[in-house]
Amino acid sequence: MEIPFIVNARKDTGLFNSKVGIWLFLASEVTLFGGLFSGYLFLRLYADYPWPERALPVLPGLINTFVLIGSSVTVVFAWAALKMREWRKFQIYMAITLLCAALFMVLKGIEYNAKFHHQAVQIEGPGPVQGKGIIEGHVHYAEIKDGKLTEVKDKDRYHDEGVFPANRILIKASELTFVLKRPTHEAYVKEILKQAGDDYKITLAKDYRVPDEDELHEGGKNRVQLLASGKALVADAGSELSIDLLEEMEDSFLEARSHDKDIRTDFLAASWDWIRDEKGDDDLSTYVVEKDIWKERRKEDAKKFGPLMLSAPGEVTFKVDPPLILVMKPGDIPQFSKEQVKFRDDTVVKGEVLPSPIIMGVDAIDFRHTAMRAEAEGIEPMKAIEVSWILTHTDSHGGNDLKKAWNCHMAWLKYQTERLEKEGRVPSDNDKYRVNWDEMVAYQKLDLDPEAVYKAAGEDALYHSSLFDLKGFAGANHNEFDFPHVEIPRENVGFESTLTPKWNTYYAIYFTITGLHGLHVIGGALVLGYYLFFGRKMYDSNPEWLANRVEVGGLFWHFVDLVWIFLFPILYLM
Amino acid sequence: MAGSIEEVKKAKKLFMFIGLLLFFFTIVTVMVASVEWLDFGGHGFDAVDATIGLAIATFKASLVMLIFMHLNHERPLIYLFFGLGLLMAFFCMWLIGWSKSDPIQFGNPNSSDGFYNPDKPSTESHH
Repeated sequence: MEIPFIVNARKDTGLFNSKVGIWLFLASEVTLFGGLFSGYLFLRLYADYPWPERALPVLPGLINTFVLIGSSVTVVFAWAALKMREWRKFQIYMAITLLCAALFMVLKGIEYNAKFHHQAVQIEGPGPVQGKGIIEGHVHYAEIKDGKLTEVKDKDRYHDEGVFPANRILIKASELTFVLKRPTHEAYVKEILKQAGDDYKITLAKDYRVPDEDELHEGGKNRVQLLASGKALVADAGSELSIDLLEEMEDSFLEARSHDKDIRTDFLAASWDWIRDEKGDDDLSTYVVEKDIWKERRKEDAKKFGPLMLSAPGEVTFKVDPPLILVMKPGDIPQFSKEQVKFRDDTVVKGEVLPSPIIMGVDAIDFRHTAMRAEAEGIEPMKAIEVSWILTHTDSHGGNDLKKAWNCHMAWLKYQTERLEKEGRVPSDNDKYRVNWDEMVAYQKLDLDPEAVYKAAGEDALYHSSLFDLKGFAGANHNEFDFPHVEIPRENVGFESTLTPKWNTYYAIYFTITGLHGLHVIGGALVLGYYLFFGRKMYDSNPEWLANRVEVGGLFWHFVDLVWIFLFPILYLM
Repeated sequence: MAGSIEEVKKAKKLFMFIGLLLFFFTIVTVMVASVEWLDFGGHGFDAVDATIGLAIATFKASLVMLIFMHLNHERPLIYLFFGLGLLMAFFCMWLIGWSKSDPIQFGNPNSSDGFYNPDKPSTESHH
């Protein structure tokens, strides 16, 4: 069957059909991205924290802008080549377009990767306002030596077995309790067994028994007898922890729970029928809520259905022998105290939580939130900042490099204020309350000496990452530069994350919009690639047919460019 | 739209020119954001910089739409489709801007920072 109006225009619309289709699609795309840009606007206008301005490295974004504009030109040239029946030129222009798409995605990958590895920590500790400052940087690596967390200084050993990022929580586990109503333990059990290896025994503390349903309904046995029966045994005490064993107990528990629920429901239904017979439908809710007659009836019910219930234990405990030091990601542990931690699947690990500081190289200090909260509460921002843990702690060498870096920043700020005053301007909040990575490098290069920083600032001799500085292509480069070292005790960690959507709404919207845009680039490249590699047949059949197709694909590609034209200044420069 | 070979050849020159123009204005945008003597308004990023950046982006987007996407001479149906999409997008953004003028405020302006706090209802009447 021949599809009509794919080469020539329809008389009523004046357009070939696929063009009508692509414009309808593009209209829906405008609405979609319009909604996302509105989301960005909403999050930025209503942010209750200082919005990260110019937080992304500009050069990758700038190159990507050039790449997309260039590809917009080549795709339209490819279309023109088809119009002029120049197949070879079409191939060349389309191939360049696809290379541009690939380069765009590679650069996006580099940018994303940098964010996935960049750690941020919200500090807890003394201070008159809620925000205590933020530290950003790269997490170092550590291992367990003599039962203690020890930093691994040699970068070549970072990928060795037993070496892990130094932001993990360590617990010396002697007992694990799994909650059977949450059958989502598999990932944790796998991790625990992997860490335990063959040197540790993790065994069921006592028999897991559930009364047999048939024996229960036969009657004649009390609960103790039912539990003592061989049919009640699900798992022996001493059984080794495994996913299969846990699943077996979970299945028994869930079956028993379902059985008990049915019995309770039957009794409740019978009681409803009874009270309806007694009181009629009028005012039934009042009886059920307020009157003692209903409460008495339910008490009687409980006495009757109690013995009919299987009442399977909802938790099972395993002993760990000898106690095993578990190294867990902070995201896996929503709650912890000195004696126990709770995983996200409600599994409780008892033992001793070991000192688990976050060890990192610090490339940025940010007190803007502290300043914002201080100003809102009528407190002098610098007073709130000075008492922060970041500036008052003492590290294991008896010093505080972050305090020294901050002092350098104050020296730079003094120079900056004097300079701007001459122009009738004042430093921005970014200037005042944030030390960026290149400033940190500049201060380190001057041995964290404030006087030297002030002097160098006056001579315009401070290190500054320029737009085309490849060392800072994707942001702070920890392989190239030295940054101050810090160990943040776990009790001073308020919230920590890499620079991903979890960290704040800026990164949430950044990844949402750029991720969706990236998918559009991939989708567009697939369509254009199809024309390049499989378009010859269409071209031989009717060159105008392929030209129309490329025009339609090109329109989509221009739209992708259009979105990026707004994304680049909004996300990278504002 | 370019139909004949001569027209297509002529259009190619225009496409190249527009491409160069887009490159140029991208550089201008970055310079406005990073070069100090082009930092209009207050020191650092502020509303003036945002306005300039968005104005340049809008101009660049217009060039792409008018020339690359041929919207400078299209059929009325296309304007209708695209116009409706744009209208919807602007409506979404207008809604967000409109919400800024919402007279309802959260929190007591005398004792809180004005951020939403259900535990501290406003004691002042709203206007």
